Amino acid sequence: MKKYSVLIAVFAVVLAAVFITSCATTSEVSAAKSGAQLWGENCLRCHNTPSPATFSDPEWDAAVLHMRVRANLTDDEAVKVAEFLKSAN
Amino acid sequence: MKKLIYRLGLLLFVVSPVWLRAQDADQSLQVQSTLDQQLAQVPQELQPDDNKPGLSRFLLRGYAHSGLEVTDEEFSFVGGSFNPILVFRQSDRLLFESELEFEFEDGELEIGLEYADMSYILTKGLTLRVGKFLTPFGKFIPDLHPAWINKFPTKPLGAGHDGILPTADIGAELRGGAYLGNMKTNYSFYVVNGPQLNDGSVDAEEGGMLHYGLFPDNSKQKSFGTRIGIFPFSNSSLELGFSAQTGKVGAKETKYEDVGATLYGVDLSFVKNVTGLSSVIDLKGQYAVAQVDDVEYPEPENPTETHTFDNKSTAWFAQLSIRPAFVDSKLIQNLELAGRYSSFKTPEGAPWEVDQSQFEIGLNYWIDWRTVFKFSYRAISGGEEDHHGGEEAEEGMTNAFFIHWAIGF
Ligand code: HEC
Repeated sequence: MKKYSVLIAVFAVVLAAVFITSCATTSEVSAAKSGAQLWGENCLRCHNTPSPATFSDPEWDAAVLHMRVRANLTDDEAVKVAEFLKSAN
Repeated sequence: MKKLIYRLGLLLFVVSPVWLRAQDADQSLQVQSTLDQQLAQVPQELQPDDNKPGLSRFLLRGYAHSGLEVTDEEFSFVGGSFNPILVFRQSDRLLFESELEFEFEDGELEIGLEYADMSYILTKGLTLRVGKFLTPFGKFIPDLHPAWINKFPTKPLGAGHDGILPTADIGAELRGGAYLGNMKTNYSFYVVNGPQLNDGSVDAEEGGMLHYGLFPDNSKQKSFGTRIGIFPFSNSSLELGFSAQTGKVGAKETKYEDVGATLYGVDLSFVKNVTGLSSVIDLKGQYAVAQVDDVEYPEPENPTETHTFDNKSTAWFAQLSIRPAFVDSKLIQNLELAGRYSSFKTPEGAPWEVDQSQFEIGLNYWIDWRTVFKFSYRAISGGEEDHHGGEEAEEGMTNAFFIHWAIGF
């Protein structure tokens, strides 16, 4: 039984990896959006939206990477939002 | 002669400071020229123009909160805690995050490690996270529990210490976000130590309960889990999440070692600027079930006898808040009205049977995006059947009025 559940788990992870690699990290819709728009749409989903003035550039680098992992942002979102925040602070 | 000496003295008096200053200037000229020489020898790469920022970035942040609780019997300041958060971005792919919790409880300072984990971005859509992390089960624990994010001073029923929602656990996880066509999705797959079953051998009153965040792991198999989130609209306003976690939870080499527990849940988040109302509307909800395999536990009244029950618990909440962020008045912009209903049911016939529901209404005043004063009222109905007086009873789960403040920094 133990062997089976390990097998099932390995199978699930492989399946998941195949699924994920078949997903795209950008879409037509998100590619057309600016960093400011992605910031406006995503950064209020869990807490109030932080204004770009909150942090310096190096601090935003750390905070956006933190949020990329915490909020499962897509690569497109993380890159554009960081650029926007650093250009508007 | 006397006059001459007097005149010479006067001359000396007037000239000496000038001479001394000249000496000084002479010396500082010398110093200056040595500095210039030294500077000229400084390697080119240290010139300010080429000042490279480096890859490593560091944030020391966190939050603190405390408040006042008023019930029929009590009027006291409660819940003071200070949670420093350290975030290290070692490169654009490598992140370390950790949170400590300092809390004052029963006259003693308690220190906890909320999480400490490392994330490495493997590909654009996949991140590996290892360490002690907040279990990505549902929405409340991983995303909404910090005091400056939670709209209420309290947690929804079932999300507290005696609840059924996984908190932080030790393990490994793959997570990320990507698009399926034009639909955004996010995902996480994890393996952790998992909860532990209380078999009632020490305290029969707790037989059948699941305990989270205990260490070391006593079960023979880890728990596996996943959460998949989808965003049906392209503006990311709506997220629907599906979570599941399963594993063995009984202690090794006991008759409980093959007992498994499966948790599953759905969650919803809808946040949108509604121009017609000049407001941000925020709707959050979560429904979770914990099902433990049927097994016999010692009878509390007579521990030599055993008893059993359908070990299924459910916890859910729905929360709506509205903040008129786009009106002209500064005062009203910062106000937020929130309502939350939550319900928690533990198994019928268990010594720890609870069937409770709670309605809360709150008015929050935001001083900035992470600093808030919360005023709320909680009404509880139902309660613990013959509960032994654990955390919940201690917390005094009665109707109460709260004034809390929270600051994120
Ligand atoms: C899925 C929910 C979620 C989303 C979406 C989200 N955040 Fe966060 N954010 C959090 C949580 C949770 C914390 C608190 C971290 C903690 O206490 O562990 C946080 C903390 C922060 C902090 C405080 C510093 C830190 O790193 O802890 C900043 C700044 C921040 N978020 C910025 C953003 C920005 C910018 C966005 C938009 C790209 C964003 N957040 C989107 C959940 C979210």
